[in-house]
Amino acid sequence: MTVLQIAVICAAAPLLQGGMKSLRAKLAGRPGPSITQPYREMAKLLKKETLLAEEMSPLATLAPGLALGIAVVFAAAIQFWGNPLNNFVDIIALAMLLALGRFVLVLVALDSRSAFAGMAASREMTFAALVEPALILGVLGGAGFAGIAPLLSAAAIIIVILVETARVPIDNQETHYELTMIHEGLVLEYSGPLLAILQYAAQIRQLCFLLLAALLLPGSGWLVHLIWVPLLAIGITLTETFFAKVRLFEVPQLLTAALIFSIMGLLLRNGALPL
Amino acid sequence: MRHLGVAATWFVAACAASLAAITLARGDLPTVTVTSPLPILDLAFGVGVLAVPFLFLLALLALAVGIWSLERGTGRDAALVGVFAGTMLLVLCAQSVAAFWIAWEAMSLVSAILVATHFERRIVRRATLTYLAVAQAGALCIIAALVLLALHAGSSSFAAIAANARNLPSGVRDAAFALALAGFGSKAGFVPLHFWLPRAHPVAPANASAMLSGAMLKVAVYGLAFVVLQLAGPPQLLWGIVVAGIGAASALIGVLYAIVDHDLKRLLAYHSVENVGIIAMGLGVAFMMIPLGKPAIAALGLVGALFHTINHGVFKGLLFLGAGTVSDREGTVDLERLGGLWGSLVWTAPFFLIGCAAISALPPFNGFISEWTTFQALVAGLPASPPGVQFTLVGTVAALALTSGLAAACFAKVFGVAFLGKARRPGQKRERETLGPAAASLGLLATACFVLGILPSLAFVPLGRVAGAMVAAPLVLPNAPLLPVLLVTLPIVGASLSWLLSRRRGIRATRTWTCGSPVTPLAQYSATAFSKPIRTIFAFFLVPERRRIVELGGSPWFPQRIIYTTRSRYIIDEVARGFTALTLGIARRSRRLQSGSLRVYLLYAVAALIATMVFVR
Repeated sequence: MTVLQIAVICAAAPLLQGGMKSLRAKLAGRPGPSITQPYREMAKLLKKETLLAEEMSPLATLAPGLALGIAVVFAAAIQFWGNPLNNFVDIIALAMLLALGRFVLVLVALDSRSAFAGMAASREMTFAALVEPALILGVLGGAGFAGIAPLLSAAAIIIVILVETARVPIDNQETHYELTMIHEGLVLEYSGPLLAILQYAAQIRQLCFLLLAALLLPGSGWLVHLIWVPLLAIGITLTETFFAKVRLFEVPQLLTAALIFSIMGLLLRNGALPL
Repeated sequence: MRHLGVAATWFVAACAASLAAITLARGDLPTVTVTSPLPILDLAFGVGVLAVPFLFLLALLALAVGIWSLERGTGRDAALVGVFAGTMLLVLCAQSVAAFWIAWEAMSLVSAILVATHFERRIVRRATLTYLAVAQAGALCIIAALVLLALHAGSSSFAAIAANARNLPSGVRDAAFALALAGFGSKAGFVPLHFWLPRAHPVAPANASAMLSGAMLKVAVYGLAFVVLQLAGPPQLLWGIVVAGIGAASALIGVLYAIVDHDLKRLLAYHSVENVGIIAMGLGVAFMMIPLGKPAIAALGLVGALFHTINHGVFKGLLFLGAGTVSDREGTVDLERLGGLWGSLVWTAPFFLIGCAAISALPPFNGFISEWTTFQALVAGLPASPPGVQFTLVGTVAALALTSGLAAACFAKVFGVAFLGKARRPGQKRERETLGPAAASLGLLATACFVLGILPSLAFVPLGRVAGAMVAAPLVLPNAPLLPVLLVTLPIVGASLSWLLSRRRGIRATRTWTCGSPVTPLAQYSATAFSKPIRTIFAFFLVPERRRIVELGGSPWFPQRIIYTTRSRYIIDEVARGFTALTLGIARRSRRLQSGSLRVYLLYAVAALIATMVFVR
């Protein structure tokens, strides 16, 4: 059962990325790529030669596989009945596992001696630290409970998703300007198969995060929850189209909002707030 | 001298390990009492169950520090470290007020001598004085608390005090807790009494720093837990809330100061403040849950705190000893002047990386398991608790999550800037490190980080027994990642596969992409730059002040030189300094009382006599 779940999530992840990219292009009035483009891109990258900055430590070749393995653990941890995460890994262990992948990737970026990668690394670690409380408290607050509390928690998780999947108010996946990159800047030195693995891991993580938020949103039965996934993807794409990136030092305000939502969700759930 | 010192250190380690093992198997050891004419001065020594985890930590750390001292540091330091370890063993074994007092003062004095090693530098002398002042003020509070309890029990032995604990009036109980919190908290580095720690720990030799941060702070934690759980127990709800709140504040403040610091040893000292805060969170939830009648959750919190105590000793010892190796070879621990150590310190670097991952609570290392346990206890305490407790717990969970994220950012900075990339100072080719005792001791501690992370039940089973004896409830672990092996197998397999894939297909080395400008070591991202976003976001607390001097050459667009410095103001230190100035001012004013004239002194005597007669009547 878990193997089937992992297989479906891994197979569908690039499709979600392709769909969002294609929709964003259409909304901007461009014809845009087909929704199967990420698969072709991956096949292309896998065939290419690997280039890497000289004198890098072995961490550089370990990091992509590590990220993919962690993404697969995330896919295995999603549970469609009861709690959104199964007993195999809870949200605290999951958050720390995701932090492991990020930590190694940031070390590789600093190892590459590029100031752009260093800048991206610094921003990535800062925002990751700031969203960690909202992620943990949000999932704890929303898990398996009806009423208004899960809505607050889901709002927190959606803001977390914008950060974790490098979406517009915080980051921009389509930028080609090194100074504004966060996630792209981190993997600037990667190419060929290693880059393909990293991109695939990011796509799996993105789908898993959307599933996690969908399972916190209202509905009964896992099919109803699944309908939320495309709705959330469309919502994120609309945000990307109609809003500009906020200034770097205004992002913490957004993250503080997420933290407050998640704290209120958890307190409401346990009856400490009279509502 | 060196071999004698190392032998003494190992002897202490062997004693601590065997005492801990026997106590764990048989329960409390019988007390040996040396009677004296005054019963209050009786010296009693024995081992209680609560001391077992601390004895194990002392044994492991003393073993590793001894190995390290075989190769590096001076013979004098090695000998003093041996004595220092012995005094800590005595504190952990003390079973009467006088014995505890003597052992505690000996521990403070020997550690002060170690801090004062490089006394020819002014900053070291000042650090030693600050340390001694805080240590003596703390010791005064501790003695006051213990004497208060002994007076009520009518005996100075800890067994009698513990037996009398349930009959204490609540005022005495609270006073003892407050005094113990101030006394042990100042030694453990709780905010706001932490300010001596980042001054004193970094100026000591590396093996002494490892013992100070790794073991001595934990002895203070032991003292607090011992007083609260046994001597003045059972704990009250408010105590737990206070301890958890102080823990959250210490963790956050410690990690924020660590991020903006670029002196490797001082940064590690600030992380000690952070980790002691995390331990206090676990203790706090245990103290809260006992009066709420949830002993199983209290046991879980206590196990989290005790496990983190051991783990912090292990990885902080590893990091301090590694910093000592770096300092010996490079002559500096300033991150901005290091870089590329991975290439020359071939043994130290990977071990140091494991320490960095462990302190950042990353799986599969030991720090992850103990922080995870603390999280579980905090979350499990939420349902059906009064609102005040819930607010504290949720705030503490948020603080712990933020702390672990910020710690990861800090250690990404440390390892990325100092060990990866290219050396920032031009210089001679550095020779490759060979596997000596120093590297081997780091390897021992790194192995402990890994083994305790992969097989946490090695610690859970004995710690569960200790916690069970303290709160009278068996340890019930939540059923999530009891098998961290499962958690990390896939990522490790993935990492090996991608490594193999790149080996097989080959990698072409190219120049780093820097938009076409030359790749120079000085253009690498610096530690100051890395911590810039966090410095800006938390500016309301860190209050950074910056100075920028731009030397324009001919053109305004291409300056020849930019000097940029930034430093944070330490608000708590400033308050402490203000308090010192106030005290000194009052002392200076009161000096006028000492006029030197005999008539005035006679007047004082008569006034005192009259006052006594008035008040005593």
